[in-house]
Amino acid sequence: MTSLVIEYSAATQSLGALREAAYRLIGHGSCQIETVGDVHRCLIEPAPRRHRPDDELRSMFIDLVTDENLREKLATETAATRHLILALAFGALASKDDASSSA
Amino acid sequence: MARFQPADAFRVKRDDLELLPFRFERLAADRFVVSNVVGDMATLSGVDLRRLSNLDLDPSEPLYALAAEKLLVRRKDSPVILQLLALRLRSRMGFLQHPSQLHILVVTLRCEHSCPYCQVSRRSVDRELYDMSFATALRAVDVALSSPSEHLKLEFQGGEPLLNFDLIRQVVPVARERSIAAGKTVQFVITSNLALLTDEILDFCKVNEILLSTSLDGPADLHNRNRPRPGGNSHALAVEGIRRAQELLGADRVGALMTTTQASLNRVEDIVDEYLRLGLDGIFLRPLSPYGFAVKTKQFYKYDGRVWLDFYERGLRYILEINKQGRHFPEFYTSLLMRRMLTDRPTGYVDLRSPAGIGLGALVYNYDGKVFASDEGRMLAEMGDRTFELGNLSSDDYASLILSDRLIDLVDQSLTQCAPQCSTCAFEPLCGADPVYHHATQGDPVGIKPLSEFCARQKGIMTLLVRLLEESPEDAAILRRWAR
Repeated sequence: MTSLVIEYSAATQSLGALREAAYRLIGHGSCQIETVGDVHRCLIEPAPRRHRPDDELRSMFIDLVTDENLREKLATETAATRHLILALAFGALASKDDASSSA
Repeated sequence: MARFQPADAFRVKRDDLELLPFRFERLAADRFVVSNVVGDMATLSGVDLRRLSNLDLDPSEPLYALAAEKLLVRRKDSPVILQLLALRLRSRMGFLQHPSQLHILVVTLRCEHSCPYCQVSRRSVDRELYDMSFATALRAVDVALSSPSEHLKLEFQGGEPLLNFDLIRQVVPVARERSIAAGKTVQFVITSNLALLTDEILDFCKVNEILLSTSLDGPADLHNRNRPRPGGNSHALAVEGIRRAQELLGADRVGALMTTTQASLNRVEDIVDEYLRLGLDGIFLRPLSPYGFAVKTKQFYKYDGRVWLDFYERGLRYILEINKQGRHFPEFYTSLLMRRMLTDRPTGYVDLRSPAGIGLGALVYNYDGKVFASDEGRMLAEMGDRTFELGNLSSDDYASLILSDRLIDLVDQSLTQCAPQCSTCAFEPLCGADPVYHHATQGDPVGIKPLSEFCARQKGIMTLLVRLLEESPEDAAILRRWAR
């Protein structure tokens, strides 16, 4: 099994999503990310004793990046709502704690 | 003057919609499971996931109906949805309002069994220096009673706790008296192999409403192979103990747990049948844990998570068939997960919590007065790793134990809500942090989840359950009943 190189344009691909995908690849391969000019270069070393064909590992990583891009978009678009739900859920607890500590 | 608004006013328009926070996991090339902040789940194709994410929904189509039902989208002018999600989230985390309900007293490390998978590193039967003293036990009771929970469970464990039954006999009445004075209720449990059970002990259990929890690994040949003792009669004594306890205390006052060894892997039907034969009310299919003699004797390494998942799935399908024949017989871990999946009741099971259940869910008082954040943490200490040791009964009280920097750091570090991979995992609302497992297997309480067998096992089980709920109405009806 040889190393794989997959490149993304730094103009359109976030580094954060690549890092998340690299983390999820652990166990299947190790991914080192270098940014050179306007390109993020992902150098993937297949994990020892894993017999996943190169094209399968490549597809897997590309799917992981696709998923992470979507997760990033969802997180950004719903962050304010998430914070509001958490504040509604646990804000009263914080108020209660404040009240009891100042009493 | 019109009394009602026109029908158009109630029609949802695409521009009125807003995404709610949700997470997803890829199950297959074109199949995803999505879940909202409280773990309501659905499966979607890739196209539908992208359409949902882009709010490319027609309010008259089934995808919109599904997204609205699962609280993945809302009308912007509907704040009640946010209040509902907040209320449900708060309810699910309600276990934080009742901390440290379980208190485990290790009354002795001595045991007359020599199980190669023993997680507690028992000591030989003749070394009485491994017994808890009465003074230490009373101190443990006082610390337990000073926790804020009104309803406590005191569990006597070992080793084999019946080897130090005199201590249990002394402690129970005092603990009951002090709990009444403190305005609290206490449920007592003895976790025993039942080999030393006598009529006198059973009478004591009956008078004091003590529950018995025992080990039963399956039919005689398998159980005796897994659980050797002098005479090779562990199974006969356990079965006799279960039957006598059922007769005298009641069928629901004695439960059993099994542990999956390599020898169990092809025997799941036999194991379930043995539980049925003995009239037990369900079974908990448990893998080996990476602690104590299970590691020293390399039992833990004899099968991997994938093999155990096959064992679990075969067992679950067999158990579902039994339920289809009219007998209510749950697999208990599945029941716990179904409750997490289908209800908002806070879980009492410490491994399915985040913040982690260490300390916050249970405290363990060792025979020598040392206090641990969990039973598994105590087992690690017996192997020389004191990471989960919180203090000592001779010098600590409840507050100093529960607010110790060590416990707070471990709980803080292992929150799944912000741990790598967990924080974006669709199964996170149903899952839990298990810092002791990850510390034991990876040297890191957070854990590298892509390499974690705990994570693989959880995802494997939950994926199977999602599939059964969606694809098999008869199985789904049984699983829903187990959630009640």
